[in-house]
Amino acid sequence: MSGSDTVELMHKLLTGLRLAVTEMMTSMAMSEVVFAGQESADSFTLTNEVVGLVRLDGQLHGMVGVSCSQALLREIVSRIVGLSPDELTMEDLLDGAAELANMVCGGMKTKAQIGSVNLSPPVAIVGQEYTAQWKTNHPTTVFTFQMDEGVLMVHASL
Amino acid sequence: MRVLIVDDSSVMRKIVARGLRQAGFKITDILEAGDGQQGMDLLKTDTNFKLILSDWNMPIMDGLNFVKSVRSGPPAIKNIPIVMVTTEGGETKVGAAMEAGANGHIKKPFTPETLQVELERFLK
Repeated sequence: MSGSDTVELMHKLLTGLRLAVTEMMTSMAMSEVVFAGQESADSFTLTNEVVGLVRLDGQLHGMVGVSCSQALLREIVSRIVGLSPDELTMEDLLDGAAELANMVCGGMKTKAQIGSVNLSPPVAIVGQEYTAQWKTNHPTTVFTFQMDEGVLMVHASL
Repeated sequence: MRVLIVDDSSVMRKIVARGLRQAGFKITDILEAGDGQQGMDLLKTDTNFKLILSDWNMPIMDGLNFVKSVRSGPPAIKNIPIVMVTTEGGETKVGAAMEAGANGHIKKPFTPETLQVELERFLK
């Protein structure tokens, strides 16, 4: 694949990723979500309480992470599954973080109309007081989405 | 009308169950299994399902092997329709599932409307 093909593929995936987050939050979580900007970071660093991660391989290698506070995750998962936030167990939160990343990446692939990128099973992290950093070959794009209950961040290194 | 959901994610099982109810299908029972092997174990004693919805990526027994196991199983289960519900929308994987005997495929994320359209032929 030529350099320009790679750049085009990355652009398609990033555009698809941004659209997928908005669509998923609107259609499945019934939540208002507003795109609040994007920035580029040198490393793939996560510090939020909740993270869902998916690796990409195939025509393009990379990683996508969704991160937010535990309170926001509870709200999102409770809306998606139709239970009150207090009823959710730790297993629900871990599964919720993983599925959030899984569905966002699935939506990204669909929006980008790319079948040649494979998704790994998702990884979920729910905790406090940590910093996780991955060595990646490319800078990380960080999308910020504002929701009523807090900020959702989506990290992509492609 | 009874439906079996096979998925290793408890949240996804809840999402699918909620989606089925929101789509308006008259479902009396929704049973759940956490992987393909659990699904097969359940089907040994309970075969009365109108439809099975299965994930692709699962530990112990994945969705593809689950479909193969059901299709090569006893007469009481081998003809139950199976729809894959997964983020894996690649033609190769969908083709493999259909070749193994799956009857349909729904991509995550989905809406109740999508479920209604895709599952009406199985649940009417």
